[in-house]
Amino acid sequence: MIQRAAPLLAATVVALIVIAATPAPVSTRDGVYTAAQAADGARLYAAQCAMCHGRMLEGTFEIPGLGDRFIAQWSNAPLSNLHDYLGRAMPQFAPGSLSPGNNSKIIAFLLQANGLPGGSTALPADPAALSRVMVQPADPRLTAGAVPRTQ
Amino acid sequence: MAEFRQVEQAGVERRAMLKGTLGAAAMMGLQACAPAARTERPATMMAPGRKTALVPIRITRDQLIDVKCCIRPLRAAGPNLGSDVVGDTLVIHNYGHGGSGWSLSWGSADIAVGKALSVLPREIAVVGCGIIGLTSAVMAQRAGLKVTLYARESIQQTRSFRASGSFTPDSRVALTDPAGPAFGDVWERMARFSWKAFRTYLGLPGHPVEFNDSYQLSDTPITRRVWPADPAITQSFATSGRPRQNSEFGHYSDRIRDIVPQAQPLSDEENPFPVAHARRSSHMIFNFASYAHVMLGEFFERGGQFVMKDFYSPADYAALAEKVVINCTGYAARDLWQDKTVIPVRGQTGWLVPQPEAFYSVRYRNVSLTSKRDGIVVMNTNPDLGEMLGVGDSMELPNVADIEQGLEILSPLFSPPVVERS
Ligand SMILES: Cc1cc2nc3c(=O)[nH]c(=O)nc-3n(C[C@H](O)[C@H](O)[C@H](O)COP(=O)(O)OP(=O)(O)OC[C@H]3O[C@@H](n4cnc5c(N)ncnc54)[C@H](O)[C@@H]3O)c2cc1C
Ligand code: HEC
Repeated sequence: MIQRAAPLLAATVVALIVIAATPAPVSTRDGVYTAAQAADGARLYAAQCAMCHGRMLEGTFEIPGLGDRFIAQWSNAPLSNLHDYLGRAMPQFAPGSLSPGNNSKIIAFLLQANGLPGGSTALPADPAALSRVMVQPADPRLTAGAVPRTQ
Repeated sequence: MAEFRQVEQAGVERRAMLKGTLGAAAMMGLQACAPAARTERPATMMAPGRKTALVPIRITRDQLIDVKCCIRPLRAAGPNLGSDVVGDTLVIHNYGHGGSGWSLSWGSADIAVGKALSVLPREIAVVGCGIIGLTSAVMAQRAGLKVTLYARESIQQTRSFRASGSFTPDSRVALTDPAGPAFGDVWERMARFSWKAFRTYLGLPGHPVEFNDSYQLSDTPITRRVWPADPAITQSFATSGRPRQNSEFGHYSDRIRDIVPQAQPLSDEENPFPVAHARRSSHMIFNFASYAHVMLGEFFERGGQFVMKDFYSPADYAALAEKVVINCTGYAARDLWQDKTVIPVRGQTGWLVPQPEAFYSVRYRNVSLTSKRDGIVVMNTNPDLGEMLGVGDSMELPNVADIEQGLEILSPLFSPPVVERS
């Protein structure tokens, strides 16, 4: 019991320190991008990413999809990680060829496609600001039952 | 009276090859194996335009060792991959795969497991241990989740083991209108993913998945049968809750023509059967016994738990310790989840003693024989009903006479051939 609790306590302390030092983090559930960004992102995605990750973000047996699994993979970490990764590694045939602003637009599209809401503030492109946005998947309670059943 | 001549060579007994129109090439092939003809082309390397040497399939009544009946869970809008929240439990559905459950199992599991992952669980439950449940369970384990499988019975006793076992990904999988235009994309994703996943089982010991040749035979030229809508039939799924004619069924297989081998016509010279028209295709088949063994092996090796349990209502799902559950109860979901868009489609299979030496499949006058290592599957379908056969029929007891009739229909294909005398 004590052994289990110790790391948890340590993590809480660290988290409290981080929160104290910076503006309160927001979650991807809080509407962190604008609809206009997502629309631009969709166009960029279609041109630069869809040929590998699929029109419906479905991926293939070999290439990761950018749906549920992907959001799970990147969750509970700052969005700056994903932004940074896209800037370094994607699109795979020309890594780093997209501007930070365009990568933010693509992320806006990916969040939207994964059921995360938009809002009135645009998603920034600078790492410090992005590091305060925590990735969280959409709340299934909001979408369960409402999704078309074959989706 | 020549029958099938027995030939003894190098201690290996080989039944003479299927004759009818096929004899010469087959006999030549056999002779090529004889020591005197060692330098000649071996029987396995027939040149194009020559007949393929086939061992005839024994289809006498005494070979029939099992007849199984099964209900396909056709869901009008296609498989349910949506979710429900019951109490504090997220239930992700994965049922209603019609006549395509085996074929779509991996792609469908990939979608369901993705949905499960999206709430970041560490452990999940899977309810149902047919092909859909077992595949979902293994897929979730591969994603790092701890999985408990709850089911009334393990796969060997499920409807999944009463299928026939070919890659048939758009067999009664949805009705065009209720499924809507978007289903095609989802279907394609599932079919392509599954195809690749099955390929990873090729060549394994026990042959859980393999290909064999399938011959479509006909006395008349072979054409693709189309079922235009019959305006005289005014009822439909929309008006009556079940399809009323073939034109209501969705067909999607053209979307994956680029990867799935298509049938090729055989010339008279190539056709090994005593029938005027023949086409040959390679098709993927599932050996149920071996495949289940491999899958259960992976499931338990990864620490999976199996709990025998019967669920009476959705509320039982909320009582599970796991708060994320994938529901893979197949046709039973119609009652358990009160999903009346699941339509029973009865089907049955006869099983002949396995004949691995006659490893090919045949379809003639709407009777099919699929030679697999777990048995030779016989299906006798009604040419005039097409996909409507069995729709709405939940009588899940076999009718042996139908299978016997099927064997009769096929008997001319394998009737005693003429063998040249030396
Ligand atoms: C004649 C025939 C031939 C077919 N041929 C093919 C083919 O060649 N290729 C192909 O791809 N498909 C084929 N199919 C279709 C295929 O068999 C089905 O799509 C598939 O078996 C569905 O699998 P499932 O796992 O969803 O359901 P099932 O196999 O029915 O499994 C359901 C599971 O849920 C459990 N369960 C159900 N209710 C409860 C409950 N209340 N409580 C606890 N547990 C429960 C059961 O015990 C079982 O473990 C064929 C079907 C038929 C009838
Ligand atoms: C040429 C094919 C290709 C293209 C084009 C491509 N990707 Fe990728 N992507 C991959 C592969 C393959 C991976 C897996 C990582 C690896 O193998 O390095 C991947 C991984 C990813 C990941 C991580 C997935 C995860 O689950 O962790 C993201 C996010 C991603 N790509 C986004 C993009 C975006 C956005 C674009 C367009 C700007 C893009 N990719 C273009 C092939 C591609």
